[in-house]
Amino acid sequence: MLNSLVNFFPEPVRPYVMPILAIVIVLNVNLGVCSYLILLERKLSAWMQDRHGPNRVGPFGLFQPVADMLKLLLKEDVIPGHVNKVLFVLAPGISVFTTFLAFAVVPFGPVPENLSPGDGQFPFIIAPGIDLGIVFIFAIGSLAVYGIILGGWASNNKYSALGCLRASAQVVSYEIPLGMSVVGLALLNHSMSIEKILMNQATNGLPGWNIWVQPLACVIFFIAAMAEAQRLPFDLAECEQELIGGWHTEYSAMKWGLFFLAEYTHVITISFLTIILFFGGWQFPLIAEIDSAYTGATVVKVLVLLTKVFGVIIVIQMLRWTIPRFRFDQLMSLAWKGLIPLAMVNVLLVMIVKQFDLHTLWLLPLSIAAFVAAGLMGTQSSRPFARKAVPVVEDHGHGGHHAHAH
Amino acid sequence: MKWSTENGALLVPLALGWLAIWWLLPREKGRSRILGGLIGVAALLALQVTLLPPAGNVVRDGMFYLFGGAAILSGGLMITDKNPVFAALWFAVSTLSVCGLFLVNSAPFLSAATIIVYAGAIVVTFLFVIMLAQQSGAANYDHRAVQPVMASVLSFVLLGSLLFALQEWGGIDGKASDEARANQFVSLEGTVQANVFSQPPGTNKAEIGSMRVLGRSLFSDYLYVVELAGTVLLIATIGAIAIAPRRSQGTL
Repeated sequence: MLNSLVNFFPEPVRPYVMPILAIVIVLNVNLGVCSYLILLERKLSAWMQDRHGPNRVGPFGLFQPVADMLKLLLKEDVIPGHVNKVLFVLAPGISVFTTFLAFAVVPFGPVPENLSPGDGQFPFIIAPGIDLGIVFIFAIGSLAVYGIILGGWASNNKYSALGCLRASAQVVSYEIPLGMSVVGLALLNHSMSIEKILMNQATNGLPGWNIWVQPLACVIFFIAAMAEAQRLPFDLAECEQELIGGWHTEYSAMKWGLFFLAEYTHVITISFLTIILFFGGWQFPLIAEIDSAYTGATVVKVLVLLTKVFGVIIVIQMLRWTIPRFRFDQLMSLAWKGLIPLAMVNVLLVMIVKQFDLHTLWLLPLSIAAFVAAGLMGTQSSRPFARKAVPVVEDHGHGGHHAHAH
Repeated sequence: MKWSTENGALLVPLALGWLAIWWLLPREKGRSRILGGLIGVAALLALQVTLLPPAGNVVRDGMFYLFGGAAILSGGLMITDKNPVFAALWFAVSTLSVCGLFLVNSAPFLSAATIIVYAGAIVVTFLFVIMLAQQSGAANYDHRAVQPVMASVLSFVLLGSLLFALQEWGGIDGKASDEARANQFVSLEGTVQANVFSQPPGTNKAEIGSMRVLGRSLFSDYLYVVELAGTVLLIATIGAIAIAPRRSQGTL
């Protein structure tokens, strides 16, 4: 099927057509999937809360996304007075632009091993051969916060300003564990290229999946990526109960829609990365191995990858109604006192294993031990690094100072 | 007098550039931004005569001028913008343009790291502080430069000395002879090592600028510098924690 598609184009134009085709497919599938992910999220929320969810438009509410889109397009696009118009209009664009740009280095299928610019193979990735794929994604992801900050500040609204202040502190903090969690991965795979990490796992089969050697890194990566994407339980910037809508309080119609398009694209990118970096990408025992060459093997590989990604998206959406939102100080403690030290321990374990030439599977018990130790430290004392509470002395002389300070 | 006519190609753009920046620096009473902008463009065009590189790859030159021009332009806008938030944003644009220059010169890791550290973290922190401190708009003293003459003259003297030094070495206009270029920088003999951990540079052309080569060089040739920089950063972190007030002292 894929070959007939590739052969449809004459030989000389294929090197130019194939990247364009990849971009067109990614953009359109992404847009379509985003709208249906919103429906899925609403249905899942309804199911978890024992209600029906949207069921009026079409059978089982299947045309609800169409109705939503029509509403967003036709609704009056209000730009409030006293806003900074340039930044107000620019902010949703920055959000969408950065999240889509990050997807450029994410493979969405079996990338051909001998890919070169001249031959007309379908690349299954928009920008192949980038040696620093993960670093590129982090660089672009760190720019995504500008959309939130500018939108919140330009709105000239106290709630929006509070939301964007929270967002900037949160994103700057969670970039550190996000970046450190993949250092061990890069050490073990000798590369930061997403394609190479994927190929390494695919060649080694199921036991070669990185989750067996880096379970701790997987957990840290997933948590930090959720925080970067501002998803519940980390949506402090949005936080309907306290801040109305946070940074997008003043936005309406399609500008608001663009922010949510960016959020869902971010979720899709995270899910792809989690699967590709830790769960073997398109590899699956028996049906999608590196040497499986039956008819339609490529399609099966793409389907395996998409199924795995869908699983992660379901997990992310179920987490929304499972874990309540963090308080802001808990959020900061989690990053600085929990995730960053754990990520450092993880890198240290990888270095020990590499230095003493141990089998890499030693990392599995070591990571679990580190995780359990951290959990014990967290539960045995509720605030392990807090200073001992100063007892309040009754007389109003010396000791009262501390009491008032709290 | 002879000196000034010989070096007029650098002196004229420097003087024009200083005039533009001095004219545009924020003041209480606004000046015509169009006039300042025109002077600035004239300065850049005058400099163009000196800096025009030999004709080479059109795409590469185009990228170079695009990113370089954007960096200079956004740098100028950053200094001259009255609104601190916009100044921080222009700083971010300037950083991104410089990252583009790194990318053109095949240093992708440096480029990505600079984006993460500067555009992604430092400017975001600037914005955080500006927005936190100025909920009700900037104060009067934030709307004007404190020492416009002093600051602009000194910075352009610095820029001028850099340009003249580069010109003496024959590095910028491409007019120096090959012999002069070969002798302009002090280089190590092939057998001399920076320190005992140094390894000979690889000859694989595809690896130039890659992270593997960069890491090897950082942790062998520049090992002491890296360790020293790490120690300085650690001391700064400890100092920041020591200076920050504690909860029990009533603030924060």
